[in-house]
Amino acid sequence: MEVEINGAKILATFENVPLFGTVQITQTLAVAWLVMLIISALCVWLGSGLKVTGISRKQAVAEMLYTSLVNFVRGNMGAGFDRYIPLVGTIFVTSVVSNLIGLVGIWSPTADLMTELAWALVVFVLITYHKIKAAGIGSYLKGFLDPIFILAPINVMSELFTPVSMACRHFGNILSGTVISALIYAALTAASSALFSRLGSSLLVGVVVALAGGGTALLGRKEGKKFWFILGIVVAVMGILGILANLGSTFPWLTVGLPAIVGLYFDWFSGCIQAFIFCTLTTLFIKQAAGD
Amino acid sequence: MEALYQSLVTVNPVTLIAQICNLFIQLLIVKIFFLDKIKAVIDRRREAADREISDAQAAKSEAAAIKQTYEQNMLQSRAKAEELLTTAQKSAAEHSEQILRQAQQQAQQMRAKASSDIELEKKKAINEAKNEISDLAMAIAGKVLERELNPADQSRLIDNFLNELGDGL
Repeated sequence: MEVEINGAKILATFENVPLFGTVQITQTLAVAWLVMLIISALCVWLGSGLKVTGISRKQAVAEMLYTSLVNFVRGNMGAGFDRYIPLVGTIFVTSVVSNLIGLVGIWSPTADLMTELAWALVVFVLITYHKIKAAGIGSYLKGFLDPIFILAPINVMSELFTPVSMACRHFGNILSGTVISALIYAALTAASSALFSRLGSSLLVGVVVALAGGGTALLGRKEGKKFWFILGIVVAVMGILGILANLGSTFPWLTVGLPAIVGLYFDWFSGCIQAFIFCTLTTLFIKQAAGD
Repeated sequence: MEALYQSLVTVNPVTLIAQICNLFIQLLIVKIFFLDKIKAVIDRRREAADREISDAQAAKSEAAAIKQTYEQNMLQSRAKAEELLTTAQKSAAEHSEQILRQAQQQAQQMRAKASSDIELEKKKAINEAKNEISDLAMAIAGKVLERELNPADQSRLIDNFLNELGDGL
């Protein structure tokens, strides 16, 4: 079988738009707007009905989120950088929601390099601004000639590669998760069709397997042996699915539930940790550029 | 219609610019509807807590001042009570002394009166005794003389006798 892994789906193409020429509206943008809607709704919901005393559970959560964000920024940058709290928070929440939206089968905007590159460019502008502000434009430009002028191209490249590496780190992790998910899904589909075509080759096989599984489950339950009980149920379910396959069902049953176990790492853990890393790098780079 | 896909890694300037704009729009929404509101509430709560603390401190110092005044008053009143007590004791002592003195005086007066009374009674008794004696002497003398003296002689005689007697007494 063939496994195809594509980029974002192109939803609409507009030819001859002034300035841009051909404009392609992709899935990335559509889902990004969906993510924005979700986050904005969440913000409005969490930010409404706030009270000074006698707070609700919702407000307690909202305040905890706010406090941890403030602590994160202050912990990484120290005091005096409070104006970057909204930026860091926005990048973090957008990244997390974009990564996790892939869990419900929607295209992740973060699986498109342009999303991360957009954030990284904003951070790059801030880094450069702080470098120039801290050292002055003259010393900033002269810094490229350090330690000798021949290294200037390398210095320029290292400067430019900061946003590129930030973007690619995040993008690569999410993309690899998407690729692995697609591969596992394809493998499970293949395994499913192989298994159930055997079980469903005749009605008798399915019925026998189902009965054997049911018997084992009953026995395991009577004896109080958990292992046999669970094994019996699994075998019985397989028998029943075999009967369904014999009756004409082609649904790849093995893809139900099993990819979620792998997704625990590639979607949940990776999705959250990459957002965290991106924000940590943002704060550290800006702090470093400000030079105090 | 066949779905069109971008290649896996590609540069799409429209997406890039749109995502930058999206980031800033999202940033504004997050800031206005979430961060600023939570910050305002937390700041208000901190102000309230600060106010409460300063109120409590003011109340505490006020209570301390009241306590000090009270203690001072207590001290003053104790001194006053002591003073009152000593004054009362002193006046009571004076009073009792006065009463005693009066009683003594009275007793002295009574004694003096009693002794003068006794003197008077004594004189009276002596006079009576004198009269008795004179009568007796008269009778004796009459017996002796065997005659009656006239009243004038008699009286003179008696007085003489009495005078002699009185001198002898």
